[in-house]
Amino acid sequence: MKRKVKDLINNMNLAKVRFWIQLVSFILFVYGGYFAVDLGSKLPIFACPYNAQSGGACYLMPLQHQLAMPAKILLGGAGIAVLFGVLTFLFWFIFLNKAWCGYVCPFGTFQDWLTALRKSLGIRYSTYTQQQFEKLSKIKYIFLAIVLMVPLLIGVGVLGGEWSSAFCQICPARIISPMFSGDFSQWAIDFSTKTAMVLTAIGMIFAGLFLAGSFVKKRFFCFFCPMSALHFIFARSSIVKLRKEGSKCTRCGDCYSVCDMQIKDIADDVTSTDILRDDCILCLKCVAACPEDDALHFDILNLKAFSSTRQGFEKRMGIEKPKGDRDE
Amino acid sequence: MSNRLNREIETPAEKQNRHKAMEAITVLNTLKESFKEPPKAMGYFYDLFEEVYCHQKALHSDKVKVGTMCIQIPSEIIYALDGVPIRLCNGFYTDDEIGSDLLPQKSCPLVKASVGHLASKNITDRPDMIYSPTTCDQKTKAGSTIEGFGYDVVDVDFPRTKESEISREFFRRSIRGFSADLSAKTGKKLSRKKLRASISKIGYAQSLYHQLSELRKSSAVPILGNDMFLVTNAFFFDRIDSWIEATEALVEELEQRAKEKVHAAGRVSPRIVYTGSPPIFPNYKIPLIIEESDAIIVADETCSSNRMFNDRVAVDEWFVNDMIDSLADKYLKACTCPVFTKNDDRIRRIIELVKSHNADGVIYQAFAGCTVYELEQRSVLEAMEKEGISILYIESDYSPSQHGQLSTRVEAFVESLKIKNRKRR
Repeated sequence: MKRKVKDLINNMNLAKVRFWIQLVSFILFVYGGYFAVDLGSKLPIFACPYNAQSGGACYLMPLQHQLAMPAKILLGGAGIAVLFGVLTFLFWFIFLNKAWCGYVCPFGTFQDWLTALRKSLGIRYSTYTQQQFEKLSKIKYIFLAIVLMVPLLIGVGVLGGEWSSAFCQICPARIISPMFSGDFSQWAIDFSTKTAMVLTAIGMIFAGLFLAGSFVKKRFFCFFCPMSALHFIFARSSIVKLRKEGSKCTRCGDCYSVCDMQIKDIADDVTSTDILRDDCILCLKCVAACPEDDALHFDILNLKAFSSTRQGFEKRMGIEKPKGDRDE
Repeated sequence: MSNRLNREIETPAEKQNRHKAMEAITVLNTLKESFKEPPKAMGYFYDLFEEVYCHQKALHSDKVKVGTMCIQIPSEIIYALDGVPIRLCNGFYTDDEIGSDLLPQKSCPLVKASVGHLASKNITDRPDMIYSPTTCDQKTKAGSTIEGFGYDVVDVDFPRTKESEISREFFRRSIRGFSADLSAKTGKKLSRKKLRASISKIGYAQSLYHQLSELRKSSAVPILGNDMFLVTNAFFFDRIDSWIEATEALVEELEQRAKEKVHAAGRVSPRIVYTGSPPIFPNYKIPLIIEESDAIIVADETCSSNRMFNDRVAVDEWFVNDMIDSLADKYLKACTCPVFTKNDDRIRRIIELVKSHNADGVIYQAFAGCTVYELEQRSVLEAMEKEGISILYIESDYSPSQHGQLSTRVEAFVESLKIKNRKRR
């Protein structure tokens, strides 16, 4: 019985299962308001609070607000609120880890849909060279620094109040997310102050880049996402893990060629057992594309929940007995 | 007297064919008669080799025949362009002798035999063009020698470092170039549908091999290693659909044998992982000695057999370029050929095979003159020693001599494994 359930999971059509989970999550987080769903504002995903109907909100906005408090208050009692916020964020994160990106984040899902649109038009995706990838992959830490440092600088009085939630001003999710519930009001440049004008103009540019970029490049924005950087800092605390058994790996590169995030280590590193890298979105496409039994597996509490298997691989790649047109 | 006058004098080609037929039939008869009853489904393969090598039967007269000098040329692309891949690696001593006149004496017998075969122009399925991946020095240089015999030889750039991203990109471009060239020569367009279908077809052939490999892991091994070499070697030149059908029948029969616990060797026969220079029909000199010495080859790490079938192709978006890139990665990154700068992957693979197939020891055979395998034996021996795996290193060639000396060494090794097993028990 146990064996049968295991086979059923390992041989599943991951793409389909993922599509439905993503769709349900998208509805929940973009239209949750209509169903009176509110999962709080400490979520580790880009469910943007600018979208009035959001069923829960991104942690980066309250984090910026809290950090922007005057230094004295922040170091006093309010520090507890910040700590509480981090703990709530961690609480969510411990369960799904980066799978929030691959399965839940509406902004990630939207990118996958743009990819599906491109695919249906028969246009091939573009990739980065390894050097470009290594450089671009660092940008998310710059954004994370903006998320953390700007509010702190407001708190100590170096920057004025117009810098409030500076990252949200430049974040494409602020502009794009509300659109799903028919709100196009964020498609505007705020001329109230010079800073606001510059920040919102950058936001508009980023939104444009996001739409064009995600169309040609799989998970374009995830390379730059500061939430992903924040995730990685806490990655070790999670109960779920992406593991690799190097002795079973033939470095065939199958996992690498299906990886939306172009993570080279997934194929080439045969010594790390914990193979989660900072860009990973835990979509598990690599596990599904690996033809070696148990070389890659997704673990929950150190138990293999989804493993790579030869059979699962063959099923997903459509490998079957050839029909018709025999060569004789 | 009159009989003597009417006797026709054998032409050099006829003589060559007669000698080759003798080599081939000797091996086939040994396989059929010297061991326990072979699986009935092996009959297809025995007949196939006999027809092709004893009766010079051509199999692909109606198709574009694409000769390949090594396994790094994706057969998936050749089939998608309606061609037939024919791997030109040769195992005949007769051809080795012809090649000896054309190449340095110390060259690898496989290269000499391949060159000799093409030099003789006595080929049933003569390739219309040849793609030569620049793998080892001797194969690379052999390409230009073969060109001199009037063949259209195209070099396919192959990197010697596989860890770097530059190499990956390099080989992806190289395979794109190869498919464009073949497409131009055949006048066919590489379509998405056809390439996907041929990836699926080869994938299916691989899945059959994987099923056979699974069966060889059990305590009663239902098939001899030499029979397996014959099955995998047939993939070099056979009609793919016939091969699939015959292998399907073999899988079915072996599954039955496995259920009945039929062991192709003896109950205490040591289990061997075979590695090194590729055994190519009919040069099964060492594998035959091994199995005649009451050991059984349960797995191998050679390019003519397990390595050729092991690694699979996965594609995310089924566009032509995506498929080509994935194919290129498989043929480069997963390859454990000793031509590469480092050999960690090969060592890991051998250890994995020993563990997964519960093997008692490793036999590493290198052709005298096959520099890369000769160079690599030391590091492999060291790695095996560290793991506590018994290993025997042998140097050999295609000549029928040395049999006594070689069998003495192999028998002694097999005996030592038996003693070890007895002690353990």
